[in-house]
Amino acid sequence: MEYGNGDKALIMLSYETSSAKRRAALENAESPEKLYRDYSHADVAIAEMNKKGIVAITLCSDKYPSSLKQIYDPPCVLYCKGDISLLSEQTERIAVVGTRAVTRYGKDVTREFSAAFAKAGICVVSGLARGVDSQAHRVALEEGGKTIAVLGCGADVIYPPENAQLYADIAEKGLIVSEYPPATPPHAFRFPERNRIISGLSKGVLVTEAGRGSGSMITADLAIEQGRDLYVVPGSIFSQTSRGCNDKIKELQAAAVTCPEDILGSREQRRQNDDLAVQLTLEQARIISLLEDCESAHFSELLAKSGLGVNELTALLSEMEIYGFINKLGGNYYSVAGRL
Amino acid sequence: MLAKVNSYALNGLEGFGVSVEVDVNAGLPAYEVVGLADTAVKESRERVRAAIKNSLLDYPIKKITVNLAPADSKKEGSIYDLPIAVGILAATEQLPAHSYKPYVIVGELSLDGSLRHIKGLMPILLSAMQNGYTRFIVPESNAKEASYISGIEVYAFSSLTEVTKFLSGESDCKPVPATTFSAQQAENRYNVDFSEVKGQLFARRAMEIAVAGGHNILMIGPPGAGKTLMAKCVPTIMPDMTFEEAVEVTKIHSVAGILDAGKGIVTARPFRTPHHTVTVPALMGGGAKAKPGEVSLAHNGVLFLDEMPEYQRQTLESLRQPLEDGTVTVSRAKQSLDYPAKFMLVASMNPCPCGNFGSKTQQCRCTAAEIRRYVSRLSGPLLDRIDLQVEVDGISYEELRFSPPAESSADIKARVEKARALQRERYKGSGVHTNAQMTNAQMKKFCTLSPDCERILETAFKKLNMTARASTRVLKVARTIADLEGSAEIKVNHITEAVQYRSLDRKYWE
Repeated sequence: MEYGNGDKALIMLSYETSSAKRRAALENAESPEKLYRDYSHADVAIAEMNKKGIVAITLCSDKYPSSLKQIYDPPCVLYCKGDISLLSEQTERIAVVGTRAVTRYGKDVTREFSAAFAKAGICVVSGLARGVDSQAHRVALEEGGKTIAVLGCGADVIYPPENAQLYADIAEKGLIVSEYPPATPPHAFRFPERNRIISGLSKGVLVTEAGRGSGSMITADLAIEQGRDLYVVPGSIFSQTSRGCNDKIKELQAAAVTCPEDILGSREQRRQNDDLAVQLTLEQARIISLLEDCESAHFSELLAKSGLGVNELTALLSEMEIYGFINKLGGNYYSVAGRL
Repeated sequence: MLAKVNSYALNGLEGFGVSVEVDVNAGLPAYEVVGLADTAVKESRERVRAAIKNSLLDYPIKKITVNLAPADSKKEGSIYDLPIAVGILAATEQLPAHSYKPYVIVGELSLDGSLRHIKGLMPILLSAMQNGYTRFIVPESNAKEASYISGIEVYAFSSLTEVTKFLSGESDCKPVPATTFSAQQAENRYNVDFSEVKGQLFARRAMEIAVAGGHNILMIGPPGAGKTLMAKCVPTIMPDMTFEEAVEVTKIHSVAGILDAGKGIVTARPFRTPHHTVTVPALMGGGAKAKPGEVSLAHNGVLFLDEMPEYQRQTLESLRQPLEDGTVTVSRAKQSLDYPAKFMLVASMNPCPCGNFGSKTQQCRCTAAEIRRYVSRLSGPLLDRIDLQVEVDGISYEELRFSPPAESSADIKARVEKARALQRERYKGSGVHTNAQMTNAQMKKFCTLSPDCERILETAFKKLNMTARASTRVLKVARTIADLEGSAEIKVNHITEAVQYRSLDRKYWE
């Protein structure tokens, strides 16, 4: 792995412990290269990383996952151990997170969903914590799927210690990711920080079991903030460890899911739409953009704005409806389909 | 003395010659009518007596017997007044013998001796002509109606005196001159025009397709959306009636007694709107006299059923036979009559009982069960015969402002006529005239689809949850859309457009 000056500057920046300072430095610098004059520290760090089998993917690398770039405060470097292809565009990723104090129910739920994702070829992202996180990684690997563990300590630090075997398995078959330089010890404040990466890497976040104030609830809130799909599995109203999930349902902030198909189905539909979106003709794209401006539009409105003839527009709308781009509502109103 | 005067009787639209035999003999003064005459005929005694006397002729103080032969079939109406009066005058030698023989005489008498308008003259003339009669004496007010039939001599008179003068050779009279038929003869035959329909571009297009292919259409929309106005505009974009069509319509209207005497022939395509309380006999035809019903009066025109689900189930179901066969058979105890009933069905309904389902601005107050019940009043087999089902919008003022200036009926009609011409060419000699009437075999021949079209049709059915029976409808409508465009093949955009006109097949309705 070759590192340019920009990469080196960002690696050096990642050693800055205060995230606020890191952010400020990035914002003020015209380009990463200008941050430092001397890159010798970086060369030492790179040598150390190479020894440990860790690669650094920096913000200016083309391997840096685009979904993560979109979030507020993206990490300047991702230290990776394992299969870095899992960070590419082509891999679909979903986060499965939850409480450390997992119950039998939480474990079963996590197994159910994680296994289904693995079988569907979706990469499971989690935090390698005790409880739900570990279960999610483990099941994904058991089912022959891919998984990414985002750590709140250096990528070479095994925490919690009982997950040593799991850590080794993930490093071999999946990917270990951390924004902290190697050898960074685990500290409580780092775990909430790394949660933004878990949700940032993923298209959606599933909380299988979580109590009020659980770290997973932070991930859930971040998911909403970052515009990710949030799914929660409802639990017993008497269970402390499901209160967080149930709250999210009550507040209508998340989609309650009771089987993997709830997620896979909506993902399937969206993917179909994405596939089709490529084939949109100019006219179709125009209609979609007209419809996106408002909740729904009337036939006559579309007619006036599109400049098409009645027969052309009718045929066009019909075709778009058949392909599932739009919905026909009562009274000759149309809306964009499949908004999730 | 005995006199035999030729007259005519109608049974439905067909008729038969009636010989009015009048015998005036010595005896106690009396007046007897035999030969299955109905009340109107029996009452002719008073009209005939007064008319003869008031025409300053002699009414015999003798025993008068009138026989309407053949004696075993029913005679109805007042058309025998004149032949009876002529018979009496002939029998009392006030008219030269045989002077009346060459004529078929029909007409109703007024007490002052003037002749009144009769119902059903056109079918009488046409039927009598077929049976070899060529000369007729009819009331003056029926002259216009008679003038459209060529190949016969019709003499029209306004009073009994004129008739007697003519028959005794005292006055010379020319037969009624023939009038040539022109569908355009009266400008502004319809007092509505499509240019009055604002907005509704989607529904207008659907109407154009429906008329172009002879498809039946159902409009679904909230109250006040202009459904009735649009329905009324349908005849204005239909091709002009040919003479044959006009005669068919006139015959029916003449029998029903709704013909405009001043015009004498129907030039405008009929537009019939039976109210939803209509009974089956009123719709189909019937009653004691087996008169034509609304479906026959709408022959070659439009039958408009407003608020279709409000009609009685039984009434709606009775429509199935005429929709299928184009004729309606009215069976009564003593007779069974066929009336033509080829009409375009235009129906309208609200989307739900309160009318606001699907509206953006109004709240629908109906429960799902109510809506289902409402829609289910239209049975599958009936809906099967309605090719286009479109939603008509109750749209707001703001949305209406977008509408470009509306097109006039004449412009739409020009396109419709082009599409119809293509269809006439295609179905030449097969007895089918429009796409809507296409048989299955013809569909295989004329609705072949490219693989692209097949694919989109299949996708449409799966995605939009359309019922299987909708497929033939969609194809027929697609055929019409292609015809409107002048395209020989059905293309993808024709199919997709046709799919939009199947609102009731959609799941969202339920």
